[in-house]
Amino acid sequence: MKRRWLLVATWVAALTATPATAMKVGETAPMLSAPRADGDTLSLESLKGQVVYIDFWASWCAPCRAAMPELDSLYDQMRGQDFTVIGVNVDRQREAALRMLEQVPVDFPIVFDPQGKWAAQFAVPMMPSGYLIDRQGTVRYRHSGYRPGELSALSNKIKALLQEKAP
Amino acid sequence: MKGIVQTTVAVAAAITLSGCALSMQPVEPWQMDNLARAEMALQIDPQLAAYRSHVGFSKEAATGGASVSGGGCGCN
Repeated sequence: MKRRWLLVATWVAALTATPATAMKVGETAPMLSAPRADGDTLSLESLKGQVVYIDFWASWCAPCRAAMPELDSLYDQMRGQDFTVIGVNVDRQREAALRMLEQVPVDFPIVFDPQGKWAAQFAVPMMPSGYLIDRQGTVRYRHSGYRPGELSALSNKIKALLQEKAP
Repeated sequence: MKGIVQTTVAVAAAITLSGCALSMQPVEPWQMDNLARAEMALQIDPQLAAYRSHVGFSKEAATGGASVSGGGCGCN
């Protein structure tokens, strides 16, 4: 009898299970890796000691497309100062992403995550979403959505993080 | 009591197996392109849908009825 109740309890628990919550500020970013367009693998581990902004984007996401030039400009301004942007593309078809990159070319590195592994680890709440990670690998700022001019605030946060000492 | 437990387990199993379980995975934000795919559209062929709507409009001499707005009163 107890076993049956246990079965029912397990089933109820499974039904009421809540989805993963988005990664919060202060949490340690998962050390993921993913392929780049040229076939090389980019890993977050290799970027430890740098300030990294991870931007999740997709070709079907209009605000993501709108944010790309502003992010690229941010990257170009600060790329020589231990800062990088990583664009994590979540398109299931890489061709769609490459087509968009032809229309909206960017200088910052792009990695492809068709299975959504990165997105799931970060529990991305909406598209686009961005995570600013400090030199120690801790998420220090999270940005969701995009409106023109919004990323200027991000620029100040990056500068502040760049002032912090390397580990 | 035994009967109640058996019934509960049976109903639970039926709901779970029928795909009606509340734990069905929601579409995550990064999977939204699945909803944008052509085969997910309510109208598979928008042109044909527009044509049918036009035929309906011509026959009934009234707007509305096919959507929320318009009551089909003929006062277009």
